[in-house]
Amino acid sequence: MTAALLSDLAQRAAQAGLDVVPFAVPLFIITIVVEMIWAARHDRTAYEPRDTLASLLMGLGSTIAGAFAAGGIALASGWLYLHRVATLAPVWWLWIAVFVLDDFNYYLFHRAAHRIRWFWASHVNHHSSQHYNLSTALRQSWTGFPALSFAFRIWPALFGVPPGMLLTVGGINLVYQFWIHTEAIDRMPRWFEAVMNTPSHHRVHHATNPRYLDRNYAGVFIVWDRLLGTFTPERADDPVQYGIVHQLGTFSLPVIAFHEWAAIARDLWRAPWAAKAGYLWRQPGWSHDGSRETSDSIRARWRATQDDAAI
Amino acid sequence: MHGKLPDLIMALLARPGIGPVLIIAAQAVVSLLLIVALYGLARLLKLGGDARIADAAHAADLARAALPGFEPVEISLDRARIGALVRDEAGRVVLVRRHGARFVGKQLTSHHGIRLDRTMLTLETGDPGFGTLTIDLGAQAQVWAASLRRLGDHAA
Repeated sequence: MTAALLSDLAQRAAQAGLDVVPFAVPLFIITIVVEMIWAARHDRTAYEPRDTLASLLMGLGSTIAGAFAAGGIALASGWLYLHRVATLAPVWWLWIAVFVLDDFNYYLFHRAAHRIRWFWASHVNHHSSQHYNLSTALRQSWTGFPALSFAFRIWPALFGVPPGMLLTVGGINLVYQFWIHTEAIDRMPRWFEAVMNTPSHHRVHHATNPRYLDRNYAGVFIVWDRLLGTFTPERADDPVQYGIVHQLGTFSLPVIAFHEWAAIARDLWRAPWAAKAGYLWRQPGWSHDGSRETSDSIRARWRATQDDAAI
Repeated sequence: MHGKLPDLIMALLARPGIGPVLIIAAQAVVSLLLIVALYGLARLLKLGGDARIADAAHAADLARAALPGFEPVEISLDRARIGALVRDEAGRVVLVRRHGARFVGKQLTSHHGIRLDRTMLTLETGDPGFGTLTIDLGAQAQVWAASLRRLGDHAA
């Protein structure tokens, strides 16, 4: 009976898509309350009311922007599916395969979001908090759709993966990533840390320490970072400093949401013609005259000051 | 004038295809109430605390974090320890200030917006987002004010 119900649910989810995020909202709220109580007992600075308010309002804005963008994304993935080169039946193992593939696509998107300024402009707001708690997980982008970030996730529709399946696994991926935004959990069991993305791995990703910059892009499975050379473990002798290299120093929502887009516009206006495109597709911090620093140059200078054993 | 707003609302509700928009609006209102409740809880629990710069070493760490490659040689703390001025060997100056429960730093690149009032120094970084900061540096304020006048292209 249960198997039949699950099968029916899976069939309908593959056809129309099942957005699991709204079902997870009560869990989000309860765990944030629990973490706040934990913070009150262990470290009051783990939360800052205005920072939390900004993060949650960014999350709300992202949900509203996402609702309006959903039609466009559905249209694009539907068009790809209409022109598919194969047809895949939504059997149980395809769900698993698509979940893994979508997580790899998330890795690619996330890596691009840190290495290409166009995508960074949309993603940077998620990193703009100097705190790392469950509310930070909800500090999401308002401009992901116009930045075309969804292109990384919908291309499997062209190869016969039902768009509803992509929407469903994408939502599960997003919900998984919520719980890893915390300092309340130190380490998970070793086998779990080896395969899955965890609070420890993701703390590294949110760090501004030179050692940790642009590392651990994983969504659910940390194995992508391990395989592709972007993994760095958290170290007790290098406590994580959270945020972005040039901290915003404000809780203003428009600044959080749009500051990098505004900076790109300024750079495009001022740069010589031959250099303009570089301010869009090169990595954040790149400048045509070399006057700024990228994460690579920051890390290289830091490495030069360290003993080999300390790196 | 009376009745115009209700009429407008009724006309909007009567429009075909308004259902999804109403659902989004209702979800947004409920979410907003929950967000305000969580913000209230954070305040009730006194989260965030009262962040202060512990000492010169702390200020140095904050300046290093603010400007990659910055190595402090001179540090002055605000009397209330909510801010600091830090200089490196190359003469670069970083202003550190409190931001909620954390600290942020920004390089001062111009003497514009720097004002001295006895022991109080008011500083602007030129970044509107960073804002203006007034710090009490005691006797050090005049020394800093004199040296900061040399900052920027149009030093006085």
